Amino acid sequence: MKLRRILGAGAIAGLVLIGIPTTPAAAQDDPVTMTIGLLQDMSSPNVTVGYLVPEFEVWNLQYATLTSKAADDFSTIPGLAESWVESNGGLTYTYTLREGLKWSDGEPITADDIAYTINRSRDEEWYNHFSTVENLDAVAIDERTVEITSSVPDPKLPTMDVYIVPKHIYEPISFDDLESYEALDGVASGPYSLTEWRSGQDWTMVKNPNYYGRDNGIDRIVYRVFSNADAMVAALQRGEIDAAHNFNASSVEQLQNDENVTVVAGLQGGFTELALNGMAGGIGDGNPALQNIDVRHAIFYAIDRNVLFDRVALGLGSVGTTLSPSADPSWIPDLGDEGFAYDPERSAALLEGAGYVDSDGDGIRETPDGDPLVLRYIVRSESTDAAPIAEFITGWLEAVGIGTETTVMDDTQLYDAQVGGLYDMFVWGWTPYVDPDPMLSYFTCDQVTYDVEEAGYNDANWCDPAYDELYQQQRVELDSAKRREIVAQMLRLFNTESTYLVLLQDPDLQAYRTDRFEGWLQQPANTGPVLFTNSSPTYENLSVIGAEPPVTDDGATEGTTAPDATTAPDATTVDGDSAATTVAPVPAGEDDGGSNTGVIVGIIVAILVVGGGGFFLAKRRGSADDRE
Amino acid sequence: MRARFVAGKVFGALGTFVFVLVFNFFLFRVVNDDPTGKLFRGRNLSQAQLDRRRQEFNLDGTKFEQFLAYLKQTVSGNLGDSFLSRRPVTTEIREALWPTIALVGTSTILSMLIGIMLGIAAGWRRRSKVDVGATSFAMFTYSVPDFWLGMVLLAFFAVRWPWFPTGGFEDAGSTATGLSALLDQAHHMALPCITLTLAYIGEYMIVMRSSLLDTVNEDFLQLARAKGLRDVAVRRRHAVPNALLPVVSLSALNFGYVLSGAIAVESIYSWPGIGQATLEAIRGPDFPMLQGLFLLFSASMIIANLAVDLLYGLLDPRVRGR
Repeated sequence: MKLRRILGAGAIAGLVLIGIPTTPAAAQDDPVTMTIGLLQDMSSPNVTVGYLVPEFEVWNLQYATLTSKAADDFSTIPGLAESWVESNGGLTYTYTLREGLKWSDGEPITADDIAYTINRSRDEEWYNHFSTVENLDAVAIDERTVEITSSVPDPKLPTMDVYIVPKHIYEPISFDDLESYEALDGVASGPYSLTEWRSGQDWTMVKNPNYYGRDNGIDRIVYRVFSNADAMVAALQRGEIDAAHNFNASSVEQLQNDENVTVVAGLQGGFTELALNGMAGGIGDGNPALQNIDVRHAIFYAIDRNVLFDRVALGLGSVGTTLSPSADPSWIPDLGDEGFAYDPERSAALLEGAGYVDSDGDGIRETPDGDPLVLRYIVRSESTDAAPIAEFITGWLEAVGIGTETTVMDDTQLYDAQVGGLYDMFVWGWTPYVDPDPMLSYFTCDQVTYDVEEAGYNDANWCDPAYDELYQQQRVELDSAKRREIVAQMLRLFNTESTYLVLLQDPDLQAYRTDRFEGWLQQPANTGPVLFTNSSPTYENLSVIGAEPPVTDDGATEGTTAPDATTAPDATTVDGDSAATTVAPVPAGEDDGGSNTGVIVGIIVAILVVGGGGFFLAKRRGSADDRE
Repeated sequence: MRARFVAGKVFGALGTFVFVLVFNFFLFRVVNDDPTGKLFRGRNLSQAQLDRRRQEFNLDGTKFEQFLAYLKQTVSGNLGDSFLSRRPVTTEIREALWPTIALVGTSTILSMLIGIMLGIAAGWRRRSKVDVGATSFAMFTYSVPDFWLGMVLLAFFAVRWPWFPTGGFEDAGSTATGLSALLDQAHHMALPCITLTLAYIGEYMIVMRSSLLDTVNEDFLQLARAKGLRDVAVRRRHAVPNALLPVVSLSALNFGYVLSGAIAVESIYSWPGIGQATLEAIRGPDFPMLQGLFLLFSASMIIANLAVDLLYGLLDPRVRGR
């Protein structure tokens, strides 16, 4: 037995030795690497397949767009095109490309690449392109000029934010083969190109030497996928990673107390709403009481969104107002006193007025027909906030005499219940694009589900011809001030008439270390996140702390700020210590490729102990057998 | 061993496999038979685009047509493409397989060896200090949930004392190859492996101990002692081989579970294995991935069971006689 104990102890010692802390062997010529931690892997780097947040960041870096978006306010700024001219009453735009543009593999980027991408993605209805290019036709006039004509007035123009793919790579790939294309060609027009993706683990983007914009001095960006948010936070504090995206709200305080870390609660339009069943589709079994607008308003007045913000969202993000149609918060109008501020008395009065009284004294009101007013509330199992929100809301509703029955469902079940109209209320959320059109379109009558086989996006199950008319108007309104006014009218109407109460504006919780890189940019300014934003302007604006500023082609030294960028102090940066911007550069857990002595010694010891022990045992067994 | 015995077992296994093949298709479609709408919620797709995707997913025909297409495809060795990544399911599974085999395989072997040794030590000297110590240790690690143990080990040995990485299969963006890549992987595997090993030890230890206790008072041991054999020889040559039978079947069955991964521990340590792939597929729901994964799980269990049956035939002559 003694021997085995020694063996066991040796094996454990070996394992422990594997973990001896190691000093990074930071060689001088190591590439400068920035590592970003996140909780979600890519679904696919193929721009005609992928649809998750991580791949949009990859495409934002790999594929420059014809026009880009300013970090501050999403306004249209030059991208591959340096200028553009409007003609034909706003239907046609002629774009002039920058001079000397090249793909990362050295091929020239020409107007042909632009026209090819727009026309092919329209004909083949590529998922991430089609809604933008549906009515467009592009013609390459010469190497640097492309003319884009819309068949209908399109207020999104001159913004052209579809990812332009390299024609010389994509042309040989047929429509049938396109979806199974792995898209690891690494041919980029943007600042970085994707070179490796290890599914479930990480992906690496390397600097594109031919990029037209600023060189930030960072050679590689590695995205590391965590499945444990707390481990990701620990990795950030240890310096294993330089930034982290989407951790738990409960980690914010811990990170705020770390002087080398800045926390950002960035808003980009995502929201959580309470949806009541308006039964506009005419299918399902929604409670008829909800078609009475006074009952809906009574429910809205009974809910205290400030408490949800403080207690569930832990004060991160902001309180909801009306539908948030864009990543740009300036689209949301001021609702004045129509914002359904918490008012349980008014709620009760509305119910009384509508004939809903508690006639049997059980605390639950009865409908005018005499049935108890009890609503079926579906709680999403895939959201950690859904259960606490349900606790609060059901309590508030009970206080005004509305009973609830809660059922927990995963998103697939909830989706089925929603399109089938088989619910009274649920809490779910949306994330909008920058242009408000898609989000606004979801609540038109066209998007109501009348037949579950042809389900639409309208999960308010509500529709109003007045809203639809305004929707059609804004769709073709080329005067941007007028369009904003129409959208504001739609949002006010939606707020008072629809079945939605927007509870919370949801933040992207991000944090970055302040000791290796500086120049992090929020998009939009002051309120947005720094990473995984609509056009990812942060990367180009970063600099390595302590590194010589890169020198531009004309010999001038660049500042740390790109021309269209902002470094304005940020209101929603929730760092407790604003002075903690720069400290002495620390070699922050740079990956050292596993070359560390502790590991080697540990493994060798383990092998010796196990191997030697095995040999000794075998010998012993042999001699014992002999003795028998 | 008789050929009829072997053939019977093999045919039984094949029959089970065919049943699983059919059952798998219907199992995942019970709750929802068309996740397309949910998968593309908020993606601003037209009805025509959604219909096209439905067609690509083979979700557009009747259930029976879908089933025939599934059978035809699976029988020809093609598990289809994942709904989420559009990559072949076989590629997705292959990529997740090696991390899982490395982690769960190593910890199964380690826990088996350590558990059996502890079980022998404890069972042979009942109520001794070794027995009390080993039994308490095994009961503790067996009853502690593996995810809790994982979190505690992570909190101490990756955060409080940063000896090990906070997770992952190797250093992020690592370009290491050969030995240095292996060492890097071993460094990353240490904590999850210790977690799983501790979690699995108890099972082996307890089964080994009780089986040995049953054997200790058998007449043939008295006889062996009467022959004048040393205690060690009695234990090794006569007691342990007879007591090993239940442990053999337990081990073989547990090897069948290796390919199922370890969802909780893989999650805690961001380990890119089969457990994580399963979780992702369930979240989709990604029918082709789920079908492929469950086919793999069933196949490995069926093979492990077959191995147990055949092994028993070898080890215990009474079994093959029947």
